[in-house]
Amino acid sequence: MKVLLALIKKEIKQMLRDSSCIIIAFVLPVISILIYMYGVNLDSNTVTIGIKNDDNNNPEIATLIKSFGHSKYINSAILYTDEELEEAISNSKIKGAVVIPNDFSTKLSRGQNAELLVITDGSEANTANYVQSYITSIANGWLASSKYRTNMSVPIISPEVRFWYNSDQDSHYFIMPGSMATSMTLIGILLTSLVVAREWDRGTMEVLLSTRVRPIYLVLSKYIPYFVLGMASLAFSVFLCIFVFGIPFMGSFLSLFVVSGLFLFACLGIGIMISTLLRNQFQASLVAIGVGFMPGLMLSGMVFPINSMPDILQKLTMFLPPRYYVAFIESEFMAGSVKKIIIENAVFLTILGLLLFAVVLKNTKTRLER
Amino acid sequence: MINAVEIRNLTKKFGDITALDGLSLNIEKGKITGLIGADGAGKTTLSRTIIGLLVPDAGEISVLGFNPATQKNDLIVHIGYMPQKFGLYEDLSVLENLILYADLKDVPHDFDKMLEFTSLTTFQNRLAGDLSGGMKQKLGLACTLLGNPAFLVLDEPSVGVDPISRRDLMRMVREMMGSETTVLWSTAYLDEAHSFDTSVVIDKGKIIYDGIPSALGATAQEFQDKVIELMGGYKEEESQIAKNYRYRAAEVDLTVEADNLAKRYGDFYAVKNNTLKIKKGEIFGLIGPNGAGKSTSFKMMCGLARPTEGTARIMGIDIRTDPERARSNLGYMAQKFSLYGTLTVEENLEFFGAAYGIGILDRGKRIDDIMEIFSLKEYADQKSEDLPLGLKQRLSMACALIHNPPILFLDEPTSGVDVRMRRGFWNHITSLAKKGVTVMVTTHFMDEAEYCDRISLFYHGETIAIGTPAELKEKAGATTMEDAFINLIKESEKQ
Amino acid sequence: MGSGFLRRVFALIKKEFITTWKDPKSRSIIVFLPLMQLIIFANAATMEVKNIDMAVLDRDKSVESRELISRYESSPRFRHIYYMDTEVELQEKMDNQEVQIGMYINNDFSNSIKKQNPIEPATLLIIGDGRQTNSSAIATGYASQIIAEYSQEVTQRRGTAIDAIVRNWFNPNAEYQWYVLTIIVAMLSVVVTLILTALSVAREREMGTFDQLIVSPLSSFEILLGKTITPLVIAMGMACLMAAAVTGIFEVPFNGSFPMFMLSMFISLLSIVGVGLFISSIANTQQQAILYVMTFMMPSMLLSGFISPIEDMPEALQYFTYLNPIRFFMKLTRGIFLKGIGIEEVIVNLIPLILIAVLTLTLAAKTFKSKLE
Repeated sequence: MKVLLALIKKEIKQMLRDSSCIIIAFVLPVISILIYMYGVNLDSNTVTIGIKNDDNNNPEIATLIKSFGHSKYINSAILYTDEELEEAISNSKIKGAVVIPNDFSTKLSRGQNAELLVITDGSEANTANYVQSYITSIANGWLASSKYRTNMSVPIISPEVRFWYNSDQDSHYFIMPGSMATSMTLIGILLTSLVVAREWDRGTMEVLLSTRVRPIYLVLSKYIPYFVLGMASLAFSVFLCIFVFGIPFMGSFLSLFVVSGLFLFACLGIGIMISTLLRNQFQASLVAIGVGFMPGLMLSGMVFPINSMPDILQKLTMFLPPRYYVAFIESEFMAGSVKKIIIENAVFLTILGLLLFAVVLKNTKTRLER
Repeated sequence: MINAVEIRNLTKKFGDITALDGLSLNIEKGKITGLIGADGAGKTTLSRTIIGLLVPDAGEISVLGFNPATQKNDLIVHIGYMPQKFGLYEDLSVLENLILYADLKDVPHDFDKMLEFTSLTTFQNRLAGDLSGGMKQKLGLACTLLGNPAFLVLDEPSVGVDPISRRDLMRMVREMMGSETTVLWSTAYLDEAHSFDTSVVIDKGKIIYDGIPSALGATAQEFQDKVIELMGGYKEEESQIAKNYRYRAAEVDLTVEADNLAKRYGDFYAVKNNTLKIKKGEIFGLIGPNGAGKSTSFKMMCGLARPTEGTARIMGIDIRTDPERARSNLGYMAQKFSLYGTLTVEENLEFFGAAYGIGILDRGKRIDDIMEIFSLKEYADQKSEDLPLGLKQRLSMACALIHNPPILFLDEPTSGVDVRMRRGFWNHITSLAKKGVTVMVTTHFMDEAEYCDRISLFYHGETIAIGTPAELKEKAGATTMEDAFINLIKESEKQ
Repeated sequence: MGSGFLRRVFALIKKEFITTWKDPKSRSIIVFLPLMQLIIFANAATMEVKNIDMAVLDRDKSVESRELISRYESSPRFRHIYYMDTEVELQEKMDNQEVQIGMYINNDFSNSIKKQNPIEPATLLIIGDGRQTNSSAIATGYASQIIAEYSQEVTQRRGTAIDAIVRNWFNPNAEYQWYVLTIIVAMLSVVVTLILTALSVAREREMGTFDQLIVSPLSSFEILLGKTITPLVIAMGMACLMAAAVTGIFEVPFNGSFPMFMLSMFISLLSIVGVGLFISSIANTQQQAILYVMTFMMPSMLLSGFISPIEDMPEALQYFTYLNPIRFFMKLTRGIFLKGIGIEEVIVNLIPLILIAVLTLTLAAKTFKSKLE
């Protein structure tokens, strides 16, 4: 016990003297929160589209063009020729265009279905979908208030759509908690991926191995200080999110910190495992970013829904701690403590964490290889 | 039980390389045993196997009645081990390092005596990384001695340590030792080894001598000659490097000049008023205790550190205004091993050869020659980070010499190099000097200082004495260089 | 200069190659890790929402409501439909995230349809899970669409409507994967290039070998050149390998000109190398270098336009992104790959990259020297 305490004290002193630990724990989260708050917006996109009107002689069509201009999601530009349109899309000046055919008003006044040609820049597939749906909904809205409305077919079923847990549909409410998962992977995985490698580099490991230090102490002395640092950083991020940026928090702090602790435990496992297996800082950092940071962004369900991934990838995400944590933290913030979600994710994180801990322990050598 | 260690037919292989080859050895309890051997003879492997950090492939080994291969945890409690590269936490202070190792060994935090003993009391709150080389070694030894272990295993503790500190290290061990304490001390300093109870000479993984040092030679010098003979003998031959050397650089009278060089950190002068004029073909030695500012002056003169005041000229070229041209005349060897660890011996030589502008046509031959001269051929395809310390130093020397520079800057070139190699090395240096090469060298081997034409003794950032070895000895009223060194330092301290 | 210059630089390049490329572990990490990530992320990164599970509380239990629900069951986007009996059950299913969508059908649903009165249409409630705002918005969109189709079938009075005929240029089916693949190629190249370069000088400094380089006749410029070319070549090779995978495995058409693509890659990666070397030149240890890399990489990836378009950012941030090489890099790979953009457009995006490269490389070379104590 005394040995463990001595090692932990040593590790904490080193940590406090190393400004980079402090930066990664307290400065980087602030940067990331600011960026997610102000720079990332998943709800709506403002797109610039072109409008080419071939149905010039009808004053009613001018009001359609005007309604495009009135939408807050669209900036519109009038185009006159096909060449102009083509060039504007090629140069990314506009993300799409709507072409009003010359028989548009004639068809509408005859009570026929009128066609509207929507062209999008498919190279930005997501924006292309926005362009399409914005244009369709504006055109239909216009139709319902235009003089042709009497000819319109009125749907006999009108669904009402509601969003629970986030009635304003503000994506910040879920992406901000999600960003904490990314920040914590940095401390848990990236920072620790170097700590064992460093002891070998500096020759301190050989001395440690020649003392009574047992592998379990060696491993715990790496886990515990970084666990404390990670939790402190988390508390700081939570404080910023809830009290500074006013993100609503419906859950309980107790479950938030318990599950976060389990997540951090699993992340530390990954980081320290990398460091134990690869005693080379270049390799360790590439792998840490490759299996820690990037999957935390891409495979955690924060940006891309896990349910929509191919089966095999869904199975792969089962081995990634961020997946459980993102699911938990979003629900905890927005829906409050849901017993099943807390327990399910906590159990998986615990299993993963223990598994990784066992691997680390098994690979912590007490002898030299050469 | 009179033996602390009993070894029978011990074998350890790393891949194709046999480090220990059926080695048998007894180490007597309560004695200091010196472990001597050529670079790569297997000294470190033997030490590591004895304390259980390595598991032997075959043979029997018993240390204090334990089998290190299976009972490492029981054995380790009784051992104090100081590896070559002692693992001090450089971002912890002196005291914090002591506390850490005391806790790891479960001994009380009673460091007053230890601190006083190591004269580290005034530095106890300084970061270990900011200590000089000698002080680091003292601190490392202090950490090793904590808890009065029954068996001390010290792997070259005195490498890179000045004569005064070296005596301190020895004193520390002797005074801390109880009558039952056993010490295994591997060293490249044969005067040190001569003073021990027993000498063990190891060569190619086998013991070639085991007995009292005075049986080999009554004086340290005789002992040294005998050991060299045991290791295969050294015959002074014409230096091949010097033979092939052609002085091509411009004819300058004063090849290295320093004008009032100074380096200041805040109010503290690391180097002060350093003025030197070194003639072509001169071997100029810089000696002084660790932390006296030798390396800093050295680095300033070759443009690695920016002087706060003054300047230096290499072949008449100002190092501040035209550093690249000035440096192209230099062969430089750093104190710390600083070649590319992941490159093989041959690749390192090739890189430095090309970096110093040796054409592709001549390069192959030069590399071949230089590997021959430094006996590096058999290691040509080994990664340099895996080489033992002495071989690393040899490779560094080879890299510094590969382009036939008119000026050589060598910062402790022979630290950790075996005695036979050192003789050969100095043969090359003196022969090169005769061909007009100017050599600037620092060393902690006082026998080497005798090879220098002139010596500058450095202390607290200033030159306290300058002259030929004979002049310095006379000034200090001493017969050996080592005594001269110690007397002059003490004198200066009095003032 | 002259032959000595070439010789020295070549020696340095060779040395750099050996140190990064000779270790089989490093080599496989450089080659396989990005390729693996490319394949995994490309399959994972989809904005399409599939496998939707839905809970239905059908109070009407009529022919019409069952018909409507059966449409969901046969839709490829929906996976399981759970039938709920009470509101509490529905709430629980939603709370536990067992379903992404809930639907509540009133007991007058079929009656309202039969009345065919546009003023009092049949109503039903679709509930999205706001914890996953963007994917649930898409899912509710699908759900509404199915209702709209059904609604049209049961509406007796036909009238005029506007049909949108959609043409997605450069990507006829608006496949998100095409978009995301070109982005990932850029992203992964950035990660590997940054780590390769950021550690290179920091490692030499930590090991003491940088001193050895400085005392050699290699000038700062030569060191810079050696340190630039090797990672650049490795990164180019890797980027080409990934681009080949994108066209070969994922069958994304390559519409641009190959030389232009190579030129853009070259300059984009050069600017990243510049950033990496600059980071390396100011860092004392490898750990610091990695930290600075993250401090640079995280914001610049998030603000590259990949996760959320630059046009939507606050104006100040938009100006800030002009300093972000990743922004232009992504735009170029996507533009050349999918759109086959012309030379003017390429040049417009290359100019900032060239400026960034010149600036960072100059700073790096300057810092090499001034860092000598």
